[in-house]
Amino acid sequence: MANALEQYVNTVQTLSTQGNFSQLCDFISKSAEVLSKNVSHLDNVLATLDIQQHSLGVLGILCVKYSMPNIPDFETLFVQTQEFIISCNGEHVRYATDSYADLCHKFTHNLVERKQPSRGIQILVTAINKIQLFQAQLTSIHADLCQLCLLAKNFKPALQFMDVDITDISKEGGHYDSKDFLCYYYYGGMIYTALKQYDRALYFLEIVITCPSMAVSHVMLEAYKKYILVVLILHGKLSPLPKYTSQVVARYIKPVCQPYHDLVNAYTTNNPEELQRNVEKHQDTYSRDNNLGLVKQCLTSMIKKNIQRLTKTFLTLSLTDMANRVRLSGPKEAEKYVLHMIEDGEIYATINQKDGMVRFHDNPEKYNSSRMLLQLDKEMQKCIQLDSKLKEMDNEIAVNPQYVQKSSGMHEDDIPGSSKMQNY
Amino acid sequence: MPLPIQQGLFQAAAEPMQVDAVPEENDNVEDVPYIVDSTSLDLEQYASQYTGLAKLNRLRFIADHCPPLKLDALRMALSYVMTTYNTNAYQQIYRKLQEAMSSNSCLPDAVVGAIHNVTPLDAQWIETTAKKAALKLEKLDTDLKNYKSNSIKESIRRGHDDLGDHYLDCGDLSNALKCYSRARDYCTSPKHVVNMCLNVIKVSVYLQNWSHVQSYVNKAENTPEVTEHGKDGGQSVLTKLRCAAGLADLATKKYKSAAKYFLLASFDHCDFPELLSPHDVATYGALCALASFDRQELQKNVISSSSFKLFLELEPQLRDIIHKFYESSYASCLKLLDELKDNLFLDMYLVPHVNTLYSQIRNRALCQYFSPYLSADMSKMATAFNTTVLDLEDELMHLILDGQINARIDSHSKILYAKDTDQRSTTFEKSMSMGREYQRRTKALILRSAVLKNQISVKCPPREGGQGGEMSIAPGNASSARN
Repeated sequence: MANALEQYVNTVQTLSTQGNFSQLCDFISKSAEVLSKNVSHLDNVLATLDIQQHSLGVLGILCVKYSMPNIPDFETLFVQTQEFIISCNGEHVRYATDSYADLCHKFTHNLVERKQPSRGIQILVTAINKIQLFQAQLTSIHADLCQLCLLAKNFKPALQFMDVDITDISKEGGHYDSKDFLCYYYYGGMIYTALKQYDRALYFLEIVITCPSMAVSHVMLEAYKKYILVVLILHGKLSPLPKYTSQVVARYIKPVCQPYHDLVNAYTTNNPEELQRNVEKHQDTYSRDNNLGLVKQCLTSMIKKNIQRLTKTFLTLSLTDMANRVRLSGPKEAEKYVLHMIEDGEIYATINQKDGMVRFHDNPEKYNSSRMLLQLDKEMQKCIQLDSKLKEMDNEIAVNPQYVQKSSGMHEDDIPGSSKMQNY
Repeated sequence: MPLPIQQGLFQAAAEPMQVDAVPEENDNVEDVPYIVDSTSLDLEQYASQYTGLAKLNRLRFIADHCPPLKLDALRMALSYVMTTYNTNAYQQIYRKLQEAMSSNSCLPDAVVGAIHNVTPLDAQWIETTAKKAALKLEKLDTDLKNYKSNSIKESIRRGHDDLGDHYLDCGDLSNALKCYSRARDYCTSPKHVVNMCLNVIKVSVYLQNWSHVQSYVNKAENTPEVTEHGKDGGQSVLTKLRCAAGLADLATKKYKSAAKYFLLASFDHCDFPELLSPHDVATYGALCALASFDRQELQKNVISSSSFKLFLELEPQLRDIIHKFYESSYASCLKLLDELKDNLFLDMYLVPHVNTLYSQIRNRALCQYFSPYLSADMSKMATAFNTTVLDLEDELMHLILDGQINARIDSHSKILYAKDTDQRSTTFEKSMSMGREYQRRTKALILRSAVLKNQISVKCPPREGGQGGEMSIAPGNASSARN
């Protein structure tokens, strides 16, 4: 038996020095079975391999160790994984992105099971940085990182990745699981919601919902529920989803979210009592879905929206009147709301405590400060960049031999619906 | 066609409409039964404007909603129905009359008058009429068969028309509609086509099938030479078509187009008692115009329209209202409108729309009142509109939120200020949000193209289980609860 391990070590060493990595990958995947039969000796094998020189060999062994039904000494494995991820050779490892991702998934899985999510965050950040070809590339490890961050309630480490807009998806052995994609955006949406960056949260959740699908995914279902709540908090109304949303959403997901649609209907009445009634009616569903907190935020957001609506119609209004119109308990509560909204920049107003009047102002922004111009310029630059990105993609397609071949032989109107072209 | 089946069909078709015409047409929210207690309606004169089913339906409608006129209306309807073959309607009206009398019997005055006047149920009349109707039907049927075997197009058409007329006389609307529509295949001249359309329109109005009315009006209007026939250059046909179209538009809440149609009616040729009376045209037209026209349109199309002026003479109150509205004396205008309201509630076609029209007129008045001002004292405004400052504030709030008035309320000093929008700032705001929207969409698009390129999609049920299982890994998040 020791022979087999020796042979493994030898092959890894020779192939690594030769730089014949694809062959090495094949060899490693074939020897997984042999390795798993010799679990007890694997640590010795690890000791003979150099992490930097023989990254793929180490990766193979670690993967086998994680695939064991029970892991006797997780602490050692944890340290080994940490060491490997910190000092492995990125170029080598890119030959086996799938095993690499697999390692990270299992690592995450074990941490989650042991309820130690915060330990893995920094390691995964390194892992992603190492395997990414460029910042805007999505890997399946992203989802793991978000999951750990969510569980550890430590969102910052994930933000550096989430704030970058993805333009490409890592191949990972030719197969990227839709589950990882959905989970990344779902967890991301939750993180942004928790940070009250609702706009971005909405964008993430929308991506989950509009993912191409032939079957109902639970991730999509939950994302749809959260999407409704966040859209109410942010915009106060449900706008139609993009056209490319798959049929599944309308056909299977919407019907099972009736309590949430009821909430939307109650919200559109602009009547807090109506909304409250609805919340009480479906309270069980909401709390079972762990969405009660968001539902409560909907209530507050409706009151704020109602106050914002008042600013459109009134120049001055007494706090008592406001409390009546927005159905608050009294001028005290109204004052509290107005105060917070002024502080948050949601309305422009001044409170005159002497006679209890609120005076609404227009937006003081006159769009003539240098700061504003700078911001405008930035926004324009972003648009220009996006535009050039689009052009680049368009060019890429135009010179794609497959596309040229297909389109030149046929008429304009039956350009084949190659997966790329459907976007244009 | 054998008679027994006939009768069955007849009842099925007639029942829903005849039991009570109101619930059918009021399929909107205003379904609440209401009662008009005081009215200045002269029933005798009112009834004389209509013939046929229009008369019956209107009388019955009044009977249902106006207790003071109930007995009179039912009695009139009863005596009128005896001139037709409509035995079913006779029985129903009779039953209603009886109910009305028994419920009224506590009032000695009415009892004395009523009991003496009421005739017992005329079973013999029913029987003979039913027989007569059956005979006539049989005769018309055989006639039609003869014509068909001789295949003379013109006669067949007439046969169908006669049969339709007879069904209508019996109150069997759906069969009447069938017969009239069948005549369509045998129309040889544009005149016949128009005639057929008019018949269908008439029945469709009774059936309250407004989309049908509209499509047949279009059909008739598109018939060539429609205007050239007849002594009056087709004016009477055109007027009839326009009124029907107006009615259909009114019923489907397209008030502006309804107003336009009614305004096109020609007074001299407005004679179709089985559909509308000139009074109706005046009322519907005026109210719709008030509710949907702006000041200039009102001046141009209503006040200075020579033909509609003649209609308005029939309804002097409405004429005054329009002039008052145009002169901006809203208080008196609204007061006059309120006085008119009870009578309008007794019009079966207008009822579902009275409140909407009134509130639209009022809103229009509010907007117009404020339009020349930069700031307006709300207490003065309130007096001008017979209301309190608080109610006015609410009304204004809705109008401002609707975007109909561009103003803001100073609730402290009760002054309404016109809002001056800073075009420059709004443009900046708009372009910023547009830019953000563009960025968002484009990013989503780029990501989506990457998704499609990698062929990521949620597939096949077996994966479902796997996913569900995976999700249980994340105990801290919401989704896990669903496994």
